[in-house]
This record gives sequence, C-alpha cells and structure tokens, in this order.
Amino acid sequence: MDKTRKGLAATVAFTLAIAVSHYASAESITVVNQGGSPGDAQKVAVFDPFTEETGIEILVDTYNQELAKIRAQVETGNLIWDVASVHSLNDAIGCDEGLLEPIDWAEHIDESKFEAVGGFTDCGAPYLVSPGALVYDADRWQGDMVPRSWADFWNVEKWPGKRALPFQPDQVLEIALMSDGVAPRDVPKVLAAPGGVDRAFAQLEKIKPHVLWWKSGDESMQLLLTNEVVMGYGWQGRVNVANRSSGRNLKIVWEAGYTSAVIYLAVMAGSPKVEQAIELVKYSLEAQSQARYAEIMGYPPANVDSYAMLSDENRANQPTEYLDRGMMQAGSLYIGFWRDNGDSIRQRFSTFTAR
Amino acid sequence: MSATTTFAETGQVPRRLRTLVRRAERQHLTKMLALMAPSVVFVALLFVVPIALFLFRSVDNVEIPKYLPNTVAEIGQWHEGELPPEGVYRALTEDLIALKGEPEAAVLGRRLNYSVPGFRGLVTRTVRQLPDTVPASARELLAGIDERWLDPVYWATLKQQSGRITDFYLLSAMDLKRGADGAITQVDETQAVFLSLYGRTLYTSVGVTVICLLIGYPVAAVMASAGPAAANWLLMLVLVPFWTSLLVRTTAWVVLLQTEGLVNKILIYLGIINEPLSLMFNTAGVFIAMVHVLLPYMILPLYSVMKGVSPVHLRAASSLGAPPVTVFRTVYLPLTIPGIAAGCTLVFVLSVGFYVTPALVGGPSDQMIGYFIAYFTNSAVNWGLASALGAFLILVIAVIYLVLGKVVGFDKLRVR
Repeated sequence: MDKTRKGLAATVAFTLAIAVSHYASAESITVVNQGGSPGDAQKVAVFDPFTEETGIEILVDTYNQELAKIRAQVETGNLIWDVASVHSLNDAIGCDEGLLEPIDWAEHIDESKFEAVGGFTDCGAPYLVSPGALVYDADRWQGDMVPRSWADFWNVEKWPGKRALPFQPDQVLEIALMSDGVAPRDVPKVLAAPGGVDRAFAQLEKIKPHVLWWKSGDESMQLLLTNEVVMGYGWQGRVNVANRSSGRNLKIVWEAGYTSAVIYLAVMAGSPKVEQAIELVKYSLEAQSQARYAEIMGYPPANVDSYAMLSDENRANQPTEYLDRGMMQAGSLYIGFWRDNGDSIRQRFSTFTAR
Repeated sequence: MSATTTFAETGQVPRRLRTLVRRAERQHLTKMLALMAPSVVFVALLFVVPIALFLFRSVDNVEIPKYLPNTVAEIGQWHEGELPPEGVYRALTEDLIALKGEPEAAVLGRRLNYSVPGFRGLVTRTVRQLPDTVPASARELLAGIDERWLDPVYWATLKQQSGRITDFYLLSAMDLKRGADGAITQVDETQAVFLSLYGRTLYTSVGVTVICLLIGYPVAAVMASAGPAAANWLLMLVLVPFWTSLLVRTTAWVVLLQTEGLVNKILIYLGIINEPLSLMFNTAGVFIAMVHVLLPYMILPLYSVMKGVSPVHLRAASSLGAPPVTVFRTVYLPLTIPGIAAGCTLVFVLSVGFYVTPALVGGPSDQMIGYFIAYFTNSAVNWGLASALGAFLILVIAVIYLVLGKVVGFDKLRVR
C-alpha cells in the first residue's frame, strides 16, 4: 500500500515536472506531422538534434492532413500548432485561404539546393519527397531483359504479360505522357495544355488490355511478388518494405522517369513563434538533417547536397544520378490542374478503364 | 333488450354505447402510441431525419445565392448570345470583392468547379487580383484579369445555377446536363459513367441473388430436414463465415483466387488445367466473393420458412401417388415462396450497396455505383452528387420492390 502510494506520488511528481518543464520552457514550438514511421524518423533525425543544438524544445502532435483542423485553429485564433507538415494540395489551399504564413524562404535558405524537388512555395518549404516509379523483379529479369524506360513498360511484345498501374488517374496520366516521349519535367505543362489529357488517354489505350489496376500500395507489391505482373508502378517506400520483409530483389528504374509526392513544412498563420519556427524549418532542410532522415526512412533527401552524405547502400537505392528525371507532384501549374480537373478526369478514367 | 331492438330497427348504435366504445378506442390508441414513442423518436432522429437531410443535398444550391447575391439578382438581364451587360459584370465584381481574403471564395470556387472544370481556378485568380473598389468599367476589369470572363459558358452556369434549388446534381447522376441554352442534353461520352454503373450494379446484384438462391435453397432444405444434431452443425457452418468481418473474407478470397493462389495450384496439381485460370480482377472473382459473403442471408430466411413446412403435407402428396418432382413443384415450392422472396430481397438489397468487395477482387469494369458514392462522399467532398447518386439507388430499389410486390404479392415479400 505504502509502496503504491510512493510510486503514485513519484509518477505525479514526474508528470508534473514534465508538464511544467514543457510549459515553463520559453523556447518550445509545436509541430504537427503525420506520425507513424516517418514521424519517428523525423524525431530522431531532426527534432532531437535540433533541441540539443538550440535549446528549443519540440512538441509533436499528429494529424491526418485534415486541413479543417488547421482552419479551426487559425479562425478561432487559438493556435495549438506552430509548424505543420502539409502535402502539396493542402499547402496550396492553406496558403490561398490565409491559413499558412507566407514566408520569403530565399532570405533564410539557399533555394537552389531544392530545385530538383520543385522548390519552395509561397508558404511551404519542401522537406520530404515520396517517389513512385517503374519497378521490376531483378531476379526475374536480367541482362537484356531489364526494362529501362516507360516505353519498355508499354512494349508488350518483348515483355508479354500484365503490368500493374494504380487505379487512379493522377500519376497514371503522367506516366503515360512519359512513355510517349515527354520529358518528366515537361509533363505538367503538356498535361495542362489543350489536348494533353487526350494524348495521355490515347497512350493508355495502347496497353489497357495488359494492365492490372491496383487499389492499394500493399496490392501493388503483392502483384510483383506473386508474379501476377511482369513489371509495375510502385512507391519507393513500399518497395523498401517489400524487399526487407520478403527478402526479394525488387528494383526501381529511376532513369525511366518517376513521379514524386512532395511534403512541405509551413508556419501556421499568426503563430507567435515565427522566428523559432523558421529556425526549425531551416534546420530540417540542412544537408545533414536531410541525410540522416533519408538514411532512416529510405526516401530520397530533398536537399541535393545530402546525396554525398548517404551510405553507399542507401545511395544505390536513391535516384542519385537521375534527379532531372523526376516529376514533382507540386507546383502551381500541376496542383491547379488537378484541383480544377480532378473530378471530371476521374469520371473519364472510370469510363475508360471499364470499357 | 330494448337497446338491441333499437339497433336492429334503426341500424344505429345508441349514442351512449358509441361514446364508450370511442373512449376505449382512444385510450387504447394513446397507450399504443406511448409505448411506441421511444422507438419512433429513435428511428426519426437517427434514421429518417439524417437521410432526408442528406437527400436534400441533391437539390441544395446554397453557395451561389449566398455568396453572389448581387449577381443572382442581376443575371436575369443577361440573354444568351450576347455579352452580359455592364450591370451584371459590376454585380459580380462587387460580390467577389466582398469575398477577398475570405475562405468562402474557395467554397464558392469548389461549387462552381463542379459545373465547369476550371471555374475554381478562374474565381480564385480573379478574387486575388481584384482591386478594393469597382472601377468605371467592371467588364474591362474582369476581362483584363482573365479573358475567360468573356466566355458565355461561365455566365450560363451562373444563370442556370442561381436558384436556391438546383437540378444539377440529379441530372449529373443520370449522365445529363443543361446546355448553354438550358435544354437538357447528354454529357460528353467520356464523362458518361453513372448510367452504365447503375446497369452493372443491377446486373451484378440480380446475378448474385440468383446464384445465392440456386446454392442456398438445397442447403436450407437439407438443414430443415436433418436431425437436430446435424442441423446444428450445418447452422454453425453457415453462421461462422456470417460472423467473420467482410474485409477478412474478401481478402481471404484474394489469397485463394490469385494466379499463384491455392485454387489454381490445386487444379494444376490435379492436372485439371495446365495454365492458371484468371479468377481474380474480373467478373468471376466478384461473383465468387459476393455469393460467398451473401449466402447466409439467403439460407437463413429460407431455413426458417422450411422449418415450418410440415412433412405431413409432403407425405400426404406422396401417398396420393404424386412423384417427387410433382410433390416439390406443387407442394414444397409454393410453401417456401415466402422464404425465397425474403432471402432474395435481402441479398439483392445488400448487394446493390456493395463496393468494397468489387473493388478488391474485381477489375475496373466490375466497379459498382457504391464506389463513386464513397468517392464523392469521402475524397471529393461533393456531397450533392453523392446524395443524388444515392437518391437514384433508393428509387431503383423502390421501383423493383413495387414491381415485385405486384407480381408476387406484398404479403410474401415480408421478411420473417
């Protein structure tokens, strides 16, 4: 009984101490991210060393990219978060609607290091990229039979059999244009121009009978691992997990051209800790932090200087040599296009795939 | 005695007796209503009201009249075939200036974008570039910001969609739209997706119902005629999958049916086939998985009705010389029709709403209407269209139920 009471008292004191230290600390900022293993990696690679270096403590909250939660805080003036991790669409909407703070990032960070991932936006600083690319089983295809381009993906004579693509128009239309000879960097421009969507659908028409459409990242890897398909489009994070958990040798063909989701750090509008927030964003984007993060997560770093700091094994899995072959799912042209045309393209995609 | 005489003579109930009867009836009714009240209130609050509110969204057009009040008042002056008069441009400019820096501009843009893809970008762009006051020529101002303001298609949309109630979502759900002149026309062939989805949904549901009936009827009959111990075992075999989560069962079928799955491996091992069959990502896979998931809903009502069929009737028919087929056709089948009707209704109504199973084991040509209802509800947040699609689904089911009721008889459709 006495022991329990002592233990309880100690726990209460400990909790209080933590709470007090959090709130008493003048220098603390709250960051919200998507949690999970990317969140854990961010803590180890960025937040902990940042606190050690600057004395600014980082409190972490998680959310599921619900813009409504940011809106509620900004509109009531009751800010819980100071920095938010937002994907490119939310970054655009949040910035348009005044929920995120416009910041002149060029004043603080060398923007040229981030050109390969699409650069900065009015509010957001790119800190995480998650690519999707052509994937094949390196134990199955060797030598002359290794696919090298999206045109190879379309070549059903040399590689007879099914191919795996996601059952969604975004990313698929982009790949179709790449297979038709459009350079990855030009894809958003071609897609948004008149006739761009028609061109992509015409290209898809050519391999439609040979496509298996997957509906989840798990399924995309399952199709490759069970040889249901000869090659497929897959996300890098999933490929890493699949290789690790099943001891297989799936390989990504970066030179074919790839798409990449971009996640930004942005400061909440009206945050009283803008200065510290900018410090944190700067630190997150530094080459060392980015390299540490890439080493843990296996995603490519957003900062181009970080590639030199990666381990050989990690670098071999990254698009190191092919940074110019990536199409970022970001930029006002790209985001504006999908925001305005997403629904009608999805309907067209549905009739197209069903026919 | 005299009362009876009076009644018999005049055919009228004496007033006093009538009042007593009425009072008793009223008390009975009040008691009944009081007892029913909790369930009625519960159903109304948690079922009828939310569904009605959501169905109202299929015609609700709150955004445009609310955020563009001046434009809505002025747009009547505009006639097809010419540019809108300055007054209309001015009204829109005033409305948009009021939305500057407001999140409502994005909400309005989203709504307008449903009608014309690209309208959202036009609105956000315009709102951002507008000055704080309206200059002499609002038309020049808007056209200077974006040339699209000289395109009648955007004005036609504003005019057609200016009312508090709209038919836009209901028409879209039928692959129809209003042209620039207001006449109803077919949407572009590449956009026409919903009618074929309704067709496929009905086709799949009817097919699954028929297969469930063909498989379930003999199973239920065996269960009903088996001894109690055997019947219990059979019932367990039906119920255990019934209790398992839908997702687990569907995923299990994925494991079994895939090219290198158990079914293909066994068939190849037995030498029945040489090449693996494609059992998944096509209609076959959808039918296999859906029939399995829905079979208990067919067997259980059939079983409960068959349990009640007395074997005496069958024996009587046989002893009068009827061959087994005639006994089945003239005695057993008619007696089990209520079970067939109940089971078919249940399975059909449930399969109409399926979309997880077709999504996981079907190909792109096996998607059902539920897929798009879920997409517009969860991902696109276009609740107007989601609600319109749902409204037509309810309508289709109601029509089928009424037709079936007329043909089979409503009393037999009741689920027991």
